[in-house]
Amino acid sequence: MIIKTTELKRSFEVGSETVEAIKGINLEVQAGEFLAITGPSGSGKTTLMNIIGCLDTPTSGEYFLNNKLVNELNENELAGIRNKEIGFVFQSFHLLAKNSALDNVLLPMKYAGTNIDEATIRAKHVLDQVGLSDRMNHGPTELSGGQQQRVAIARAMVNKPSILFADEPTGNLDSKTEGEVMGLFKELNEDGQTIIVITHEENIANQSKRIINIKDGLIESDTRI
Amino acid sequence: MLFKESLISAISSIRSNSVRSFLTSLAIIIGTAAVIAVIGIGSSAEKALEASIDDLGGRTLYVAPGQNRRGAVTKGIIPLDIKDAEALANYKEHDWEISPTITRNRQVKYGNANINQRIGAYLPIHFGVRGYELESGRLFDEDDNLGRKRVVVLGSKIPSELKTIAGNLLNKEILIAGTSYKVIGILKEEGSTGWQNPDEELYIPLLTGAQRVFGTPNVDSINVGISNDQNVDEIMMSIEQILRAKHDIGPGQDNDFRISDYSQFADLRRQATGIFTLLIAAIAGISLVVGGIGVMNIMLVSVTERTREIGLRKALGATHSAIMLQFVVEAILLCIIGGLIGLFIGTGILWICATLFDWPFALPIGAMVGSITFSAMVGLFFGIWPAKKAAKLDPATSLRYE
Ligand SMILES: Nc1ncnc2c1ncn2[C@@H]1O[C@H](COP(=O)(O)OP(=O)(O)OP(=O)(O)O)[C@@H](O)[C@H]1O
Ligand SMILES: [Mg+2]
Repeated sequence: MIIKTTELKRSFEVGSETVEAIKGINLEVQAGEFLAITGPSGSGKTTLMNIIGCLDTPTSGEYFLNNKLVNELNENELAGIRNKEIGFVFQSFHLLAKNSALDNVLLPMKYAGTNIDEATIRAKHVLDQVGLSDRMNHGPTELSGGQQQRVAIARAMVNKPSILFADEPTGNLDSKTEGEVMGLFKELNEDGQTIIVITHEENIANQSKRIINIKDGLIESDTRI
Repeated sequence: MLFKESLISAISSIRSNSVRSFLTSLAIIIGTAAVIAVIGIGSSAEKALEASIDDLGGRTLYVAPGQNRRGAVTKGIIPLDIKDAEALANYKEHDWEISPTITRNRQVKYGNANINQRIGAYLPIHFGVRGYELESGRLFDEDDNLGRKRVVVLGSKIPSELKTIAGNLLNKEILIAGTSYKVIGILKEEGSTGWQNPDEELYIPLLTGAQRVFGTPNVDSINVGISNDQNVDEIMMSIEQILRAKHDIGPGQDNDFRISDYSQFADLRRQATGIFTLLIAAIAGISLVVGGIGVMNIMLVSVTERTREIGLRKALGATHSAIMLQFVVEAILLCIIGGLIGLFIGTGILWICATLFDWPFALPIGAMVGSITFSAMVGLFFGIWPAKKAAKLDPATSLRYE
């Protein structure tokens, strides 16, 4: 089991008020799953992803990643997990604007301390996998939205993470490039990659193998397709 | 690899905000330029001063006529004369070189040239005391002096003043105040010491000068050359005793002469330059610190602007220290670049001053290394807080930041 959470809760202090973003999530994810998390805006999808992506810590509840209790880990250990176990793809791509595609993909390996020669070979390989071998030295401003998102996917994949998270990965893309990106995810999943996609859109969710619907910070339904 | 990444990121950040970076490091530039220029100028000036003191060889005390101002009745200046100098020279308790001088301007003629020039009457030892060297011919000696011979040694610039060259003048007669003198020697170029230029003087024996040229036994001053290991106070006391006895000055009466110490002036001047240098260097140091505050300010702005980038880097696995490193390196680099620009400007100013005032030019390596190191430390010191702020950012919140 890759992910197991019990009664996961996260609340935020906003002024004098306390906003409960997630209110007790029990979730189990096996290796190789292709999961879609859906739900209305403000239901807590991103908050949940941040916690299981080790970007944030729960207010209460337990979270096991690869059977390790994440709650007990310190800052540096969490950074290590984000670096090696988790890959993120964001709606707005989040590429470093002044760096080439290749340099963007190299970044996680720099934080991992990978030898530069090996890192370059691996970066070129994943860029080739996402179909950008001829765009490696282009900066984000010279790439289309779909190409930028593919660079982001290459960057997320380069350290061979246990889980690939994508928060609204097609939110900024037209339907043609949306299809390309989802096709890429399906390919990766067929090779055994665990993928969790957060989306509003039903047709995106329907391309996964399991749909979890969240409402008001709680799981409302959990359907396998 | 992480350090290289930090360096690359810092360079690209500084370059993409080049105007802002330049303005930020302006205070650092000015501070470093000031430190280099002032310390360099200070040490060049001191070297020039030391060179001129070394020329004097050891220490020289200077005895001149003049009465104490406290005296109730002004009797006019009571002169020092050659007899006073002889009395000092005959006193064998101290190992000193007594060198009285008379100098006046007189007409000097050679061929068609007719110039008004400084004539100095000295004892033969004067050349040794001052360390003057011959270019050609010979110096005058004790025989020339005692014989009141009409011989003259020329400073190196005199031949050209007389519109000829040294070779033409040696062993020729020139007219000094209408009387013919034989040129027996020409000195090497000595360079100006600041208060007089030995290259533009004509040197004649003391007694020749007293009797034939100036017609007076009164001397302008008596230089007393002593070696550095002698006790200056003791020497001064001996001079005072001898001259008071010679001038019949009773107990309680004031001296009618003054004794001063050249190297005292030099010490004072050196001290003043030192204090001045220190003061400017301190002001420049403050400017560097002010520059550091500017750097800190701009780094804080930069951290805020790049919140999302920091969030992303953390999501990709950057640790607390990796983010710290990135921003500290950027702050240090900003200061070092400012420091290097300042170093070039400061060295330029120093070079111009040294050329202008004819000082020995030496790169102030210590000040250069010191000020660059100090700039880097200013960057480190003022970069740490913004970097800490960046490293502490919460990744989830930072990624949401618009
Ligand atoms: N850092 C925060 N501080 C305060 N409130 C927060 C914070 N993060 C999330 N929230 C609140 O928690 C709730 C859940 O937010 P979250 O971003 O998880 O929703 P979402 O399902 O991802 O929405 P969307 O589909 O619009 O992205 C919202 O009410 C939001 O305002
Ligand atoms: Mg969201």
